[in-house]
Amino acid sequence: MSPFFTRVWAGWRYELAGLVIFACVWAAVTQFIFTRPELYHFKGFLPGPTLGALTEAFQNSKFWMSVFASLRRILVGIVISASIGLPLGVLIGFFARVRKFTYSPIQFVRMISPLSWMPIALLLFSSFEGAVHFLIVMATICPIILNTAIGVININPQWIKMALNQGADNIQLIQTIVIPYSIPHMMTSIRLALGIAWIVLVPAEFLGVSSGLGYLINDARDTMEYDKLMAVIISIGILGFILDKGFQKVQHRFRRSWSDKV
Amino acid sequence: MGFNDVTSTCSDSISRRNFLKTAMGTAGVAACAPMGFPCLAAAKKRPLKLGYLPITDATPLLVAYSLGYFSHEGLEVERPVMVRSWNILTESFLTGKFDLVHMLFPIPVWMRFKQNIPVKVLAWDHTNGSAVTVRANSGIDRFADLAGKQVGVPSWYSMHNLVMQLGLQAQGLEPVIRPPGSTLGSNEVNLFVLPPPDMPQALLGNKIDAFIVADPFNALAQEKFSAKVMRYSGDIWKNHPCCVIVTHEHLIQENQIIIQKAVNAIVRAQAWCLQNPKETAHLLSREGDGFLPVNESVLNRVFGAIPETELVHPQWHVERIGFQPFPFPSATRFILEQMKKTKVEGNTDFLMHLDTSAAVAQLVDDRFVRKALDDMGGFKGFCRCDMEDIFTREETIEIN
Repeated sequence: MSPFFTRVWAGWRYELAGLVIFACVWAAVTQFIFTRPELYHFKGFLPGPTLGALTEAFQNSKFWMSVFASLRRILVGIVISASIGLPLGVLIGFFARVRKFTYSPIQFVRMISPLSWMPIALLLFSSFEGAVHFLIVMATICPIILNTAIGVININPQWIKMALNQGADNIQLIQTIVIPYSIPHMMTSIRLALGIAWIVLVPAEFLGVSSGLGYLINDARDTMEYDKLMAVIISIGILGFILDKGFQKVQHRFRRSWSDKV
Repeated sequence: MGFNDVTSTCSDSISRRNFLKTAMGTAGVAACAPMGFPCLAAAKKRPLKLGYLPITDATPLLVAYSLGYFSHEGLEVERPVMVRSWNILTESFLTGKFDLVHMLFPIPVWMRFKQNIPVKVLAWDHTNGSAVTVRANSGIDRFADLAGKQVGVPSWYSMHNLVMQLGLQAQGLEPVIRPPGSTLGSNEVNLFVLPPPDMPQALLGNKIDAFIVADPFNALAQEKFSAKVMRYSGDIWKNHPCCVIVTHEHLIQENQIIIQKAVNAIVRAQAWCLQNPKETAHLLSREGDGFLPVNESVLNRVFGAIPETELVHPQWHVERIGFQPFPFPSATRFILEQMKKTKVEGNTDFLMHLDTSAAVAQLVDDRFVRKALDDMGGFKGFCRCDMEDIFTREETIEIN
């Protein structure tokens, strides 16, 4: 998984072709399944009604408010996650003792579905918004910590030895070797976390918030409006795609700066 | 501490932080700090907060807010907050996010007597409002036809589970709780919990043969794929309570005036809903104030009259969803007794030792609703009720 996200993918032709094939598969599968008379009520999953609902949504201010609300939740969640997870990941990767010490709690927490934190989130936060952020943080922090730590562990020991020979202390080591080297891994971890954050968002917006793409999905399910449901799914796909692209650009830049230093 | 106080209640934030440190571990604390966090959610926050689920059971709270009845009483109230499941509503209520909520009657029973949480039922939120729905071509017309079938209920501690099992038991059928798809004996009916939004789909996809749930999900199934209502719940048990208005006992002790005002507003709203069903449907719908994610046409079914041909007891003159605030003790007693005979998942020993009459007094506080009705000139606004001896009634239940 990791090398997949580390690499920066180029070649828009392939991307476009992939997208077109994906859309064809969607059209073919839904055409095959949802045109059967007994599934008549689910024809909203077909591309036609979906695109109709999507154009309608694009003209609706509530939809854009929801996009904004969801994006903000995701970004706030990721920023908090990163500001805790990245430093922790560096420490865990660098100090073997910290690594051993934190292994069991991290493995323990990592396996818990973030949604089982819901009651705790409700208890701890006075606002529903805070609870949603908390759920996103709980879901994304472990991948960030682990990926960053892996990056640190993978540093060529020769470099460390060389620096130690020249009398570097731990702080200098972390500043000049560990952090610059592990930045690509940090970027990877955040790209992974972005995907996970979207996954948690839909159920997290079961809580008392009044906008958001997850909220719209829940609304559509409550009223059996599957064209709207698909429209929101596609919007989330598009947003995720754009976010990832943006992140790739940033990742690319950092990678170059590192190779310059080498 | 006053209820509508605007002052912050966070002065002891440091000790709360300490508590959190021990409770959560460092990562969690750091996560919370940037979010304006210091108050524990349980700390009291003014103004009055209402929570609801996107079902028509929430109507009186929403109407009272929307028509400004709360502010008319001089209360400051935030726009009611919608959550999507009974669990979340209960948890949010318990953690102090909501002061007043509507809950299915068995939920406060379970909270009060199993979890020992001091909650009080202030009034009935509405009557009837649910139905047993089946596929149009299923050939299921009565409870006896449910033998060997799979039936979805919204929650074990729900009026729906209670009414369903009441109906099954009366027909000599045995409700069982087994994994979906298990083979059933000829007199067994398998019950399982399904989130209400999934019920219409599950029915349509032949995963279940019937479901019992609050509107608008029955109306939605009728509207979307012409499902058939086998029985309206009010047609089984005449004007039965379903959701009740629930609050924390400490709020009553702290400020009775606020509670009285809130109950006044809700009772007024109930009377308004009875007299203006069309307007109520519009107001709640997407086309109106958007409290429920449902179109007006669906809600018009819920608030409209039931066609007489769909009723077994047309002489009862029940509404599909009715409004009547007074918590008749006879109904509460009946619910507690029936809960003892209702199968649920989990331990129900607490019900066995419950003294029904004492429990009613502990659970229900009807002072406020009596006063509110007095101020309104009695039951006139709810004229379908028996006018002679207004604070008692006999429960009418007939199953076929």
